[in-house]
Amino acid sequence: MARTFRGGVHPPDGKAATAGLAPQRIAPEAALVISLRQSMGAASAPLVAVGQKVLRGEPIGKPSGFVSAALHAPTSGTVKKLTTMNDPVTGGKVQAIELEPDGEDRWHDACNQPRAWRDMAPEAVRQAVADAGLVGLGGATFPTHVKLTPPKGTAVDTVILNGAECEPYLTCDHRLMLASPGEILEGLDVFMRATGAPRGVVAVEDNKPDAWRALRDAAADLKHVEVLALPVKYPQGAEKQLIKAVTGREVPSGGLPADAGVVVQNVATAYAAWEALAWQRPLTERTLTITGDAVSRPGNFSVRLGTSVPSLLERAGLDAEAVGKVIAGGPMMGLALATIDTYTIKGLSGLLCLKSPEMFAHGPCIRCGNCVDACPAGLVPSTLSLLGEAYEDTQLDALDAAMESGLMDCIECGSCAYACPAGRRIVHYVRFLKAERRKQLARERERKSQQQAAVSK
Amino acid sequence: MTRLTVSSSPHIRQTDSTAKIMWSVVAALTPALVLSGYLFGWRALWVTGLSVLTAVVCEALAQRLRKTPVTIGDGSAVITGILVAFCMPATVHWYVPVFGSAAAILIAKQCFGGLGCNIWNPALVGRAIVHVSFAKDMNPSSYPVVHVEPSSSWLSDVLRHFTIDVTAAGDAAATAVDAITGPSPMAILKKGLASPDALVGSPAEQFTHVLRGQAPHLWDAFWGNIGGNIGEVSALLLLAGVVYLVVKGYVRWYSPALYLGTVAVLAAVLPLPLGPEGARWVWAAALRSGPDGMLYPLYHLVCGGLMLGALYMATDMVTSPLSPRGQMVFAVGCGVLTVLIRLYGGYPEGVCYSILLMNTAVPLIDRWTRPRVFGTGHKKPAPGASS
Ligand code: SF4
Ligand code: SF4
Repeated sequence: MARTFRGGVHPPDGKAATAGLAPQRIAPEAALVISLRQSMGAASAPLVAVGQKVLRGEPIGKPSGFVSAALHAPTSGTVKKLTTMNDPVTGGKVQAIELEPDGEDRWHDACNQPRAWRDMAPEAVRQAVADAGLVGLGGATFPTHVKLTPPKGTAVDTVILNGAECEPYLTCDHRLMLASPGEILEGLDVFMRATGAPRGVVAVEDNKPDAWRALRDAAADLKHVEVLALPVKYPQGAEKQLIKAVTGREVPSGGLPADAGVVVQNVATAYAAWEALAWQRPLTERTLTITGDAVSRPGNFSVRLGTSVPSLLERAGLDAEAVGKVIAGGPMMGLALATIDTYTIKGLSGLLCLKSPEMFAHGPCIRCGNCVDACPAGLVPSTLSLLGEAYEDTQLDALDAAMESGLMDCIECGSCAYACPAGRRIVHYVRFLKAERRKQLARERERKSQQQAAVSK
Repeated sequence: MTRLTVSSSPHIRQTDSTAKIMWSVVAALTPALVLSGYLFGWRALWVTGLSVLTAVVCEALAQRLRKTPVTIGDGSAVITGILVAFCMPATVHWYVPVFGSAAAILIAKQCFGGLGCNIWNPALVGRAIVHVSFAKDMNPSSYPVVHVEPSSSWLSDVLRHFTIDVTAAGDAAATAVDAITGPSPMAILKKGLASPDALVGSPAEQFTHVLRGQAPHLWDAFWGNIGGNIGEVSALLLLAGVVYLVVKGYVRWYSPALYLGTVAVLAAVLPLPLGPEGARWVWAAALRSGPDGMLYPLYHLVCGGLMLGALYMATDMVTSPLSPRGQMVFAVGCGVLTVLIRLYGGYPEGVCYSILLMNTAVPLIDRWTRPRVFGTGHKKPAPGASS
């Protein structure tokens, strides 16, 4: 089986600065501000009142709906106020809870207790995962229990743990695989139990041979688990591409991984699942990489949710004068922050601080074909960017043409724009078109409901 | 804190740029240009310089008029200027390159919206236009080359090459210019095979006769020691330039390889008309029975505009298909058309029109050869069925 996928690029990985650095654990600080939007889907609803005392692991936000995640106090202390903060994902304002730590960092009584989880039924495992507030820690922040509940009619036979960490600069997953291979494999077992999948695979890119070896040794006695070293290529860690590389199957266009019989979870999520099941510790901490040429002390940091980003960056030695761009996540898919005045959330896998932002000149497309070669989704990115421009130019049928060209199949991996010599802002135009498409659908829905209302009158 | 830049991902890109690609092509064409200065004297450089200057000025002018940013620094107009000049003999009047380049930039490029929007390769359009407008200039009865009597110092010999005016051929005073060569080798082959003599004796003998009697030696034709257009004479240097571009990743090797390969194969196997108006047809394979039999397809490769066209015009990114499969179809199509025109058409040369024709077909080819969208089309076995 060819363990690869179509397209992709090889950006310089920038990992050397932090790959050798074990995470420093940062104690909870003066004040934690915990966003109520920590996952895809609906934000959680606050469960605490101002002045209330909470212990670590105590629920402070409850999921609103199925695609939503629970939220827990990252340390013990007092709820100072219900407030708002800058969302590091959308850039908008979100509701948040400000917590003043009491310095004791005491776990809630129901937490941090060993549990014989192997006897639990799949539903109970999924419920425990949901109760622990797990979301995809690779950055997608999709609620984990939702992914572990495949839609009716699909059967999952393989769980893949994503240890590719194909985003340049980020090394937090690498360090986790080195430090806790056994726990990660336990987490894989949790996922296999929850989905009933008989087979588990851990996929690592072969630029991390030490992590691969650690996992392989830890998995030596596990019959149903395979540890693979995949050739380095971005976006190896993209869900559909990883499934293709590992199993040879293609998730159908518009479908879910479950349609290919697979569930993919990040290695850090697996570690969190082990903590949740085996120790009843909800997700209150994560490791992230802080790096880039604008910090003098790059490294990996294990931080509680709600830790102030400016103080973290100061700890990493941010050159506040020189920094030109701060990216939440990696350089290929991460989000450029408008302000660093924010707090860590579950999905924040890295803070990349760059002095000079790369310039995308957005010259005319010279039809070199690099983007076509690079696109893992088999699209013609050049065409999509031209259609985006046309639509912006009020050529409204360009949106239909883009839909026909597979707009919705774009995974926004950025390979095309990375490879484009003309520096075209292809992903920007794809996002623009997708947003316009969503607006179009909303308009149509509204029109339909209005018509129905008119008919029923 | 300084203001943070906010922009869509990705936040890094590779180091190539449009300008870098274009200037690399200019660099790849430079050796051939220097050689033509040596072969044809300073006029070759002058014609090329004039052509480049016109192209750049026209580009800037048109962009001013269209109120778009002036991008003459990206080198694309320079390439067009060089290629237009490369398609003409060094002996042309000064207004021929000026007219050709102006037509290339203004009509073929800027009228369509500038870089990236043109359908046809601008240089080829320029060439086609001057070909019909200045037929005499473009098809001289002979191509003079500079000839210098060897002196004691090779360096001064080489330098003298560059100082001689090739248009002074026939001038009694200018003994350094030889009008030794007749028409271009492609024309010689075509004419020779179409002459009444071609019906005498076996095709192989006749072919040898044409080759030995009239055409230049293949090796001379390969490195450039023949009469011809400024940039077309040296297959060797053009190849060297393209190897550089392939290494840099700006030209995909299969594109020129398929074009040249198609020409060689078809020239080796297709039937040829012999004698006036194709009185007798023979399979090209019949030529092979003679001592020079294998040479026929090789002449097709190294002579005329094929190298310049296959290596630098059919590989023009803007006017060729986007996907690798499309580029392959395009290259093979160019090869087929070139041979058909050369063997059966009215012109000895078919490169220019075959590429222009294929340029026209690019949108169609792009449509046919669109990559398969991930997760569509071919079916993978269902999870249960896979082992
Ligand atoms: S961002 Fe979209 S169009 Fe660009 S390479 Fe990735 S999948 Fe293809
Ligand atoms: S990589 Fe850029 S210049 Fe090349 S075809 Fe794609 S969009 Fe056009």
